[in-house]
Amino acid sequence: MSSRARKGRGEERLRGGAVSEGAARGRVLRVHGGARRPIFKVTLEAGEVEREARRFRAAVRLARRQLLVVKRRAERALGAEHAYIFDAHLLMLEDRKLIEDVEEVIRSERVNAEWAVKVVTDRLLAVYAEIKDEYLRGRSTDIEDVTRRVLFALSGESMTGRRLTEDAIVVAEELMPSAAAELDFARVKAIATDGGGWTSHTSIIARGLGIPAVVGLRHLYRRARTGDEIIVDARTGEVVLRPSGETAGRYDGGTGRLASARAMEAGAAADAREPLLTRDGVEIVLRANVELPAEYEGVSRFGARGIGLYRSEFLLSQRGAMPGEEEQARAYAEVAALGGEDGATVRLFDLGGDKLTTDAAESEERNPALGLRAIRYCLTHEPVLRTQVRALLRAASRARLRIVLPMISDVTDVRRARAIIEDERRSLLREGHECGRVEVGAMIEVPSAVIVADRLAREVDFFSLGTNDLVQYLLAVDRGNDEVADWFRSLHPAVLESIRRTIDAARAASIPAVVCGEMASSPAYAVVLVGLGARDLSMTAASIPRVRRALAEIEAARAAELAEECVRAATADEAEEVVRRGLGGLWPQLFSPKTLPPPKSGG
Amino acid sequence: MVERRVVVVNRLGLHARAAARLVRAAHGFRSTVRLERADRAAAADAKSLLSVLLLAASRGTELVATADGADEEEALKAVCELIESGFGEMEEVGAR
Repeated sequence: MSSRARKGRGEERLRGGAVSEGAARGRVLRVHGGARRPIFKVTLEAGEVEREARRFRAAVRLARRQLLVVKRRAERALGAEHAYIFDAHLLMLEDRKLIEDVEEVIRSERVNAEWAVKVVTDRLLAVYAEIKDEYLRGRSTDIEDVTRRVLFALSGESMTGRRLTEDAIVVAEELMPSAAAELDFARVKAIATDGGGWTSHTSIIARGLGIPAVVGLRHLYRRARTGDEIIVDARTGEVVLRPSGETAGRYDGGTGRLASARAMEAGAAADAREPLLTRDGVEIVLRANVELPAEYEGVSRFGARGIGLYRSEFLLSQRGAMPGEEEQARAYAEVAALGGEDGATVRLFDLGGDKLTTDAAESEERNPALGLRAIRYCLTHEPVLRTQVRALLRAASRARLRIVLPMISDVTDVRRARAIIEDERRSLLREGHECGRVEVGAMIEVPSAVIVADRLAREVDFFSLGTNDLVQYLLAVDRGNDEVADWFRSLHPAVLESIRRTIDAARAASIPAVVCGEMASSPAYAVVLVGLGARDLSMTAASIPRVRRALAEIEAARAAELAEECVRAATADEAEEVVRRGLGGLWPQLFSPKTLPPPKSGG
Repeated sequence: MVERRVVVVNRLGLHARAAARLVRAAHGFRSTVRLERADRAAAADAKSLLSVLLLAASRGTELVATADGADEEEALKAVCELIESGFGEMEEVGAR
């Protein structure tokens, strides 16, 4: 880097476009957004060419599996309407034009796969650079993102698990969508990028997650160094690099908003270990949903009472082969340890054939959401299930672990799974392994399970309510399909009644019921859930402080009255209106109209 | 082989989301489906997202769609209707 280009190390102010709300002060974390790692050309012997082509195809398959995970994560964090971009990425990865061109370069030029990917990418980008339409030209970042992922897969490195420092403010030239989706948002305080506009993925993601973001800052990336102090003010579009004491003071003291936001977070961390009580003394337990290792840190940081849901499919996204018993056992022990004395609830692989086999065509199901997936997949692929169960039982000898069975629709599924768990427990003991006791629960996410919840409750140790899938199955709405997004209504009276009915069945059988869909991570919905009788919620760790703050301020009895009114509503619109009006009226200090989910129609 | 002219009507043109839907739709048929700009500046295999994006078809662009194969009629109809419907988009960016 030239020293001439660098100005003095004093305060610098830059103005860009604010694309979300809020302001934050923290330290710069430069994130290299592009595919500009040095790539070397290696000439191959004729006999090595086919092996190189195979290595490339394997990398594409690995990249595809990772993208499926990223896509699902983005759907959960941002909603289907923002996750579509990863569908486009998947299509690019499957694109014959890309695959065949790269293989053709490997064969005709006898070069390594990395070089061939670079050649084809450069060729595509050159064509894109010619496009006049700005929006379409902007899509070249998608191509770079996809090929960068393939390059990573070829290198054997992982893109995930980036550890962020305390109070990181991400500074990048342009944040690639999948890199953005993989950042540990629990720790990102703000984003500032050189490129980008209102419609860039960075902006969409920042808005979705409520992180302050300013884009279009031109030369910030070059000027900032990791560790520099920085203020990002998305209220005005101003970014101050290395603010003087006076500027910093003005920001903290002057506007008050930054200071109060920080004080709030500090306060949340301070009493995070205390039991959470509503104003009328009802105790609520908040746990963390976890999938990526990047999320591990947030568990204790945000004061989660253990892990309410660990999505074990993540283990499969990291490599080609199914991880073995030892490796799984280590992973589960780590997750359980993370949960401390409250331990962790591990959901068995929630997979369909499409996510496990490498050949997509081979396993295409007409209707995968209703197909061979989750517990059905586990029960028909018994060796997969048995390996996972053995790993879980072994990890449970050292820490507190619970197993939850996904997509239970009938008591029979529970009985079959429990028989296998018991069978493996005996085998492990016979083989001289240490083996712990695990509680076994059922995910309640299929309508039939809600209806027979009282009978299921007699056969399991706890319920986990998966609200995302429950809404999908109850309302017959594909949550990945934009076309029907208007029919996906978390506050539909049928959904609310199902949640209440499930919680009541658990209470009658004296077993716990944990609500672990993303619904719990919105303060407004969390209040409704408490009103429906939920006392145990599990959510993205980063959401815990705000949910905690809201629930500490409410009266459970009043929430119950509100929830009752919602359940009795005729339509989802009506229920939403009850919530908007009710929350704003009862606790105006918590729920200004802006913080409530907007009306679905017209939004 | 069957052929039809269509005009891109949605605000953002054949951008990533719309193109992805188009490609998914085309994949549902056995026929070869091709899209060519009426100005002959570019042509694309409708089953390849990268090539569809390269059409750089913004709003108002006229395209010639062709399908060839056992289910060509259905394929052409599905692809053209999707484009003509504007992919069911509202003025999504401005309305946010």
